Amino acid sequence: MPIVQEIKVPLLSVNDTTLTVVDLPFVSGSLVKKGDIIIVFESSKTTYDVAADTDGYISYLCGTGQDYEVNDIIANIYNDKDEIPALPEEKKNKIVTFAGSEQQQEAAATWEGDTMFSPAAMALIKNNGMDAAVFKGRDFVSKTDVEEKLGIPKKDISKKDKDKTVSLLPTDADKVIVEKLSSNKKREIDYLSNIQQTGLTSTINTIVETGGLFVHINQSLAYLKNSLLPVVIYETARLLEKYKELNAYFTGDSVAFYKDVNIGFAIDIDKGLKVPVIKKAAYKTMQETEAAIMLLSNKYLDGTLLVEELNDITFTITDLSGEGVSFFRPLINMMNSAILGVSAIDEKLQRCILTVTFDHRVTEGKLVAQFLHELKNRIESYKSSYYLHPTQSITCSKCFKSLQDDLSDVGFTKCITPKGEEGYICQSCFKGF
Amino acid sequence: MTVATINHRLIKQALTIRTVEEKFLSLFSEGKLNGTVHTCVGQEFSALAFAGQLKKKDFVFSNHRCHGHYIAFTGDVKGLLAELLGKASGTCGGIGSSQHLCNNNFYSNGIQGGIVPVSAGYALGNKLKMNGAVGLVYIGDGTLGEGALYETINIISKWEIPLLIVCENNFYAQSTPQNVNLAGDIRARAEAFGIKTFKGHTSAPEQLMEDAKTAIDYVRNETKPCFFLVETFRLNPHSKGDDDRPAAEIQSYREKDYLTIFSKEQGEYYSNYMDSISKEVNEMVEHILLERELSMEEYYEHVEQSNSSKWQVAKPVNKRQVELLNNFFKENIVNNDRMVFLGEDILSPYGGAFKVAKELSFLAPEKVFSTPISESAIAGISNGLALNGFKPFAEIMFGDFITLAFDQIVNHASKFHHMFNKKATCPVVIRTPMGGRRGYGPTHSQTLDKFLIGIDNVKTVALNTFFDPAIVYNAILNEEHPVIVIENKTDYGKKILHHQSANYVYEINEDEYPVVQVRPAVSSPDITIVAYGGMADVVNSILSNIFLETDLKAVLIIPSLISALPLNVIAHSVAKTGKLLVIEEGSAYGGIGAELIAQVTEQIHEKIKVKRIAAHPVPIPSVKSLEHTVLPDKERILKEIKMHFT
Repeated sequence: MPIVQEIKVPLLSVNDTTLTVVDLPFVSGSLVKKGDIIIVFESSKTTYDVAADTDGYISYLCGTGQDYEVNDIIANIYNDKDEIPALPEEKKNKIVTFAGSEQQQEAAATWEGDTMFSPAAMALIKNNGMDAAVFKGRDFVSKTDVEEKLGIPKKDISKKDKDKTVSLLPTDADKVIVEKLSSNKKREIDYLSNIQQTGLTSTINTIVETGGLFVHINQSLAYLKNSLLPVVIYETARLLEKYKELNAYFTGDSVAFYKDVNIGFAIDIDKGLKVPVIKKAAYKTMQETEAAIMLLSNKYLDGTLLVEELNDITFTITDLSGEGVSFFRPLINMMNSAILGVSAIDEKLQRCILTVTFDHRVTEGKLVAQFLHELKNRIESYKSSYYLHPTQSITCSKCFKSLQDDLSDVGFTKCITPKGEEGYICQSCFKGF
Repeated sequence: MTVATINHRLIKQALTIRTVEEKFLSLFSEGKLNGTVHTCVGQEFSALAFAGQLKKKDFVFSNHRCHGHYIAFTGDVKGLLAELLGKASGTCGGIGSSQHLCNNNFYSNGIQGGIVPVSAGYALGNKLKMNGAVGLVYIGDGTLGEGALYETINIISKWEIPLLIVCENNFYAQSTPQNVNLAGDIRARAEAFGIKTFKGHTSAPEQLMEDAKTAIDYVRNETKPCFFLVETFRLNPHSKGDDDRPAAEIQSYREKDYLTIFSKEQGEYYSNYMDSISKEVNEMVEHILLERELSMEEYYEHVEQSNSSKWQVAKPVNKRQVELLNNFFKENIVNNDRMVFLGEDILSPYGGAFKVAKELSFLAPEKVFSTPISESAIAGISNGLALNGFKPFAEIMFGDFITLAFDQIVNHASKFHHMFNKKATCPVVIRTPMGGRRGYGPTHSQTLDKFLIGIDNVKTVALNTFFDPAIVYNAILNEEHPVIVIENKTDYGKKILHHQSANYVYEINEDEYPVVQVRPAVSSPDITIVAYGGMADVVNSILSNIFLETDLKAVLIIPSLISALPLNVIAHSVAKTGKLLVIEEGSAYGGIGAELIAQVTEQIHEKIKVKRIAAHPVPIPSVKSLEHTVLPDKERILKEIKMHFT
């Protein structure tokens, strides 16, 4: 069984009958290991990595930058290097970009008749002491043809406009080590450049008092105790129904408002930055929101996120609280108008900073300030009013539950314990369930 | 006066027509009609006497005041009501409305006089089919001012075409009394052409019915035309609110009106009939008002044009273009039952001014018609033949004269299919030679293609000498809509692909109306030149000069279907060369170069250099030196390329 894995172009969405190969990390004939990313596709919405299912030798039947139809076989993995066919058949680019025929001009590539020289061409040949015989096989020789032969570059103004390549900074091999950007990183740059390069973005912060915040919030959470992310997603989603400008994007000459609120949250734990999406987040309860975060995070870690779980993000939240950052400025994603950054909670000051970067072409500072103010108020409304007391040390003398852990938010009763000492008893132990 | 003897069935039909007309007037006042109506109240018996006494296989052509004729001939009251109320169930889906109806051999159009040659062509078709069907065309006295009428009367008399012309004389052309505009005698006009005439009056319906029957029988039995003058009164305005006639005069008509007298003398019958007719019409209208209107998709759907990009080497034919044209027509006039050939001076041995029709009248004398100098009638009769299932080829001797047939092309041939909501097709073909360089001067040398390419639903084709013209004419045989073919006087005598420029390849694509491309054998071209018709051959002859003098390798693209230019072929080439030159023999303003450059720049977003070379905007002089200066000649083309592209 020579071929151990056959890689076909997948159907990622009904609209994409073709996908573009954007990266081939290996060269044909290389050894690949199970789990290695061997092909990166780009669809109209996202990129999609194909990993090797098994160890073997890769043989590509495709090229980068080319489009392939769904179900085309574009690569094979072989058991043995020798089994790779000597000259893998190069697949042709199947997308015709212009409704004309390409073959017409290439039909007759050779010419056995006489060559006709223009007077200008003849003069140039003479002046340069060239032998006209070098043009044998041509039908016509113009001045431009002679210049080309002489190595004089073509003066083509229209071409110049097209080749607007980014000028590269010089690198000195003695002083620096150059590492090529991964295709993922390049894509990320493209995505973020789209809005940020206009320079028309601005950032506004607000401080959320976090003291006593989790007394109530934690009651709703099963796993992510003491985490702000679920409540931030929950409340932001609801607020975005009101602040439509932040759930929108700039199209170039108008503003497109999303009909749904789909909140993406950025994760970056070893596997690269990904932004999974919680669709219709404004209709999810806190528990459902938390469950969605857990599910998507686990899939991220397992590398099993589906394309649709990364698509159609209308607003992004990036939570760097786990990294202990005190403040940062997030960057807006493509086809979004704003992003919310959540910094770490300063335990001493009992507060954290929320940051919104927004696209000034879609909205303006005042509206974002109102949004942040309302978000702050909503989050702070979860605060327990008793948080200032040293709740940790107050424990029920019967069940040893601390006041902080108590879910009823009623408080403990001061009592005399059976041992005759002063102590506390919780409502459950006092009244029974 | 007494009405005792008349058949009550006729009275009821007349009352139906009147009720429908009155209903239209009230619907108009209620704002339920889009547009206006021309009612025939007072003239009902003219409709019943003629259209009402025809057989089903016969036909009726009518004019703007056609409702009565329509009901009398088809009996389709509901279709008419729905048509004017703009409903999809209307006779023509609401497209035509009051003046443009088509149903079972009934046709009407709102152009005065233009429908007369069309009806003559239709009648000629019946005569060729020998099916015993006859027909009539209604005109009003206002139409007596139109020239197309007399062109047609002359021809139907000469060719013995079985057509009855019914002239309804209500003494007013819109609001102008007859004595202001009409000279001489109406009947005498027809009699001068040797046509039998009759006269009657709608106030004597019994007599009118009888005389009408006699006239119809005469046309049918003798296979000859006839002219019937019916005097009548129009009791309502021309259309709406445009009545300046004296009230007393109208009142006197009203009193003489047969139905008014009937209502007085037989009041009981009258009210019984009116009650049931009104009830029926009102119920129909109520029902129709709830119906839907035609959607745009049902009316018209745009079809994206595409051109073949498969190129084959074009092959020379060692025959002159005119020989190939003549061969095509000789073969088809014999073998193709539908083909009819018409034109001025086309009888053999002369065979037409440019000999395209040579020997045709020997081969099929019954289908080759040499016409008087009547371009409007030639085109109109051809339209009528086409409506009747024939494939007429009309020759206009010089392209300059096509302006005389313009009404038939624009207001008739072009419109029939859509305004009759696809109930009719008009596959007429008009051929005509254009172009100068023969010294014929201002009115026999023009290239007027720019006036023809923008007519909806009409294809305009320009022949050239790069392939056999039979390819184009075979494609035209399959067309179901009008086609105008522009031939070129100077091309007639040239052989197909006789001159080939050195180091160039001549290729033809697979389109029905092929595109020819002349390209450097191996090099990529630097400039795209588009030329067509007679101009293509001129440009072809200087391709080497262009290279030698300008250092540019040109590709020459030669379209033949110029009413839908091969955009993707041309744009594809221009995308590579970045330069587009269009050369036309007509003048530039609003011409084919303007159209093509607009289309190409819509498609290509890179910057391209464009230029038109065309005739100077003055009449083409007869004097040779000036004629060659006015038309784009070789020296001018070379000079302009140098100036604009190098």
